[in-house]
Amino acid sequence: MEKPKGKTSPRRYTRRGFLTTVARGTVATGVLTAYGVTAFKAKAAPAAVNIGGLYPVTGSFGQIGQACVNAAKLAVQMVNSAGGIKSLGGAPLNLILSDVQSDTTVTRTETERLITSNKLSAIHGSFASALTLITSEVAERLKMPLLTGSSSDLLNQGGRKYTFTPFARASQFAQAQLRMAKLIASGKPKVAVVFENTAFGTSSSKGLQDQAPAAGVEIVMFEPYSAGFADASPLINKVRASGASMLFAVSYLTDLVLIVRTMKQMGVNIPINGGSGGFIIPDFYKNVGKDAEGLVGVAHWNHDMNADAKTVDAAYQKQYGDFIFESQGSLVAQTFMIADALERAASPDPQKVRDALASLDVSKGYAAMAPGGKVKFDQNGKNVYGHPLGVQWQKGNLVTVFPKGEARAELIKV
Amino acid sequence: MTSVVAQAVVNGLLIGGIYALVSIGVTLIFGVVKIVNFAQGEFVMIGMYISWWLASHCGLDPVASLVVSMPALFVAGVLLQRFLIRRVLGLGDMPQIFLTFALSLLLMNLALLLFTANYRTVQTSYTLSAIHIGPLYIGVAKLIAFALAMLLSGALAVFLRATDLGKAMRASAQKREVAMLMGVNPDHVFGVAMGLALALAGAAGSLIVPFYPVYPGVGQVFVLMAFVAVVLGTLGNVTGALIAGLMMGLAESLGIQFVGADSGLIVVFAMLLLTLAVKPSGLFGGRVR
Repeated sequence: MEKPKGKTSPRRYTRRGFLTTVARGTVATGVLTAYGVTAFKAKAAPAAVNIGGLYPVTGSFGQIGQACVNAAKLAVQMVNSAGGIKSLGGAPLNLILSDVQSDTTVTRTETERLITSNKLSAIHGSFASALTLITSEVAERLKMPLLTGSSSDLLNQGGRKYTFTPFARASQFAQAQLRMAKLIASGKPKVAVVFENTAFGTSSSKGLQDQAPAAGVEIVMFEPYSAGFADASPLINKVRASGASMLFAVSYLTDLVLIVRTMKQMGVNIPINGGSGGFIIPDFYKNVGKDAEGLVGVAHWNHDMNADAKTVDAAYQKQYGDFIFESQGSLVAQTFMIADALERAASPDPQKVRDALASLDVSKGYAAMAPGGKVKFDQNGKNVYGHPLGVQWQKGNLVTVFPKGEARAELIKV
Repeated sequence: MTSVVAQAVVNGLLIGGIYALVSIGVTLIFGVVKIVNFAQGEFVMIGMYISWWLASHCGLDPVASLVVSMPALFVAGVLLQRFLIRRVLGLGDMPQIFLTFALSLLLMNLALLLFTANYRTVQTSYTLSAIHIGPLYIGVAKLIAFALAMLLSGALAVFLRATDLGKAMRASAQKREVAMLMGVNPDHVFGVAMGLALALAGAAGSLIVPFYPVYPGVGQVFVLMAFVAVVLGTLGNVTGALIAGLMMGLAESLGIQFVGADSGLIVVFAMLLLTLAVKPSGLFGGRVR
């Protein structure tokens, strides 16, 4: 009985044999790693500069959060392969990531943990305004410079000194949306505004409501909704009853997909301005398909806006297959702004990096990769040149169509 | 105005059918096995992923994929009862709560690992089509989902009343010890109950796919309403859960229409609290337990 067994598998492991092999393997790996690390340390003289990235990799914003992490990694690779921080002896950037789980409580504890348990020079995050407001509060308290693409105007209020917003603000988005509405509509636009009841939704829609009368746009419905609904038809039923000739939606991806599809289904055929958020990411088109054609929105960054953006987009597409979207592209720019500040501060000290960011003034290179191509902060941390772009889905691609001077394609009336 | 109200009622009933289907599973498990399955939403998610996968890889219509998702989840339910639930029965509430809650987290994160956080949609020929009746628009995908949800709920009710196994299940729900004395094998009955409950979750998943995107956290969207429906319709009462599910869809839709789009849930919970104030054990409570 025993013999044939031995014959058929001559290299059969006994339990002891197996354990010995595992133990040997572990020791060998350990030795190699240790050797590898020492060898690496001996070669790379300057210590890496740590920057933190706080993104919702899980939870309701998980998908966009993960995409942001991909872009943040790409950005650090770009800085490092271009020679790192030269004033620090070519020190590479080291990205330390944290998952804020799309939850405000977790965001608070994670931001504190990340800043206090690592030696960081600056942080960026956290995509959603509701989360970024918390990250910003903690960063202010712990005196850690924060760069963010989030658009809430609140991020520039309350005497914040460590929060920097290089991109367009929610109030500016509203103005652009209203002006685009006038371009699309024949006659005075009658707009229904639906928005999710979050920091992002309320601040964006507040801007629309405030500026509509001056822009010559009539708001016939102004309705907050609970994000993450199971069914959009009750909301669309209301939109139809309002007699609106155009819909502005301030929503993240799932809600917006449901809104667009339900409108088609219920025969509410009016132009839609999808705002930013979930509207301007490749997955929106993948989920909605050709019904997304001609829908317009706004963005604080777009992949076709200039040569640098196109280069970044090409590099990203090569690695991930999709075009690099707003929050991702702007994150590459933010990483280069941090690198620029580190370069001028010639120190990884967060206070010095903060001061260098406050005096940032760039008009070329990846650090200036913002609409208009210039970045300089005022005392509220707002980019004085910041403004949004109007974008439109055309043949499956998101193209810049507004303002006229920066448009890459004609705005198509649908 | 009447057409707006009528449309709101139709919308509410259609989504209510889905809430009902999910909550019937929860209430069946609670009634028979006496545990609260916090992972029910995740089994809906699994049903959705099964249908999405079959649709995108084999071109199978999501509704047709019921024949895969339901048996698959039935087996999962039987195994779950056999290897996990059975071991914590009779140990008090905490181990049961932790078990199903841990299962929920595990499944959600497993889905995140396997499928990433990406949203996936299935475009069927009827995803965007609607039936027009006068001023009313009735989404075809939701109508199919509603009809099949009602059919499955009806089939379950018939099963519980007309078959020996169904009667054994109801007997176990009413008085476990007496049922055992009458020769009912609890392991067998519990296994079938878990299987049926998960099969219903799977069915809900397959029926939702044509009109709702799939992602790892999607179960949470539907499960909150399901839990409310279970309480509203009296814990363990299948017909109660069905009616409560429909009522909640209706309350949500009318709430959105007349109170505000961020207040749909306020109306739902107000209805729950009012009901519980008048009838503490739910709409259909009183006689049993």
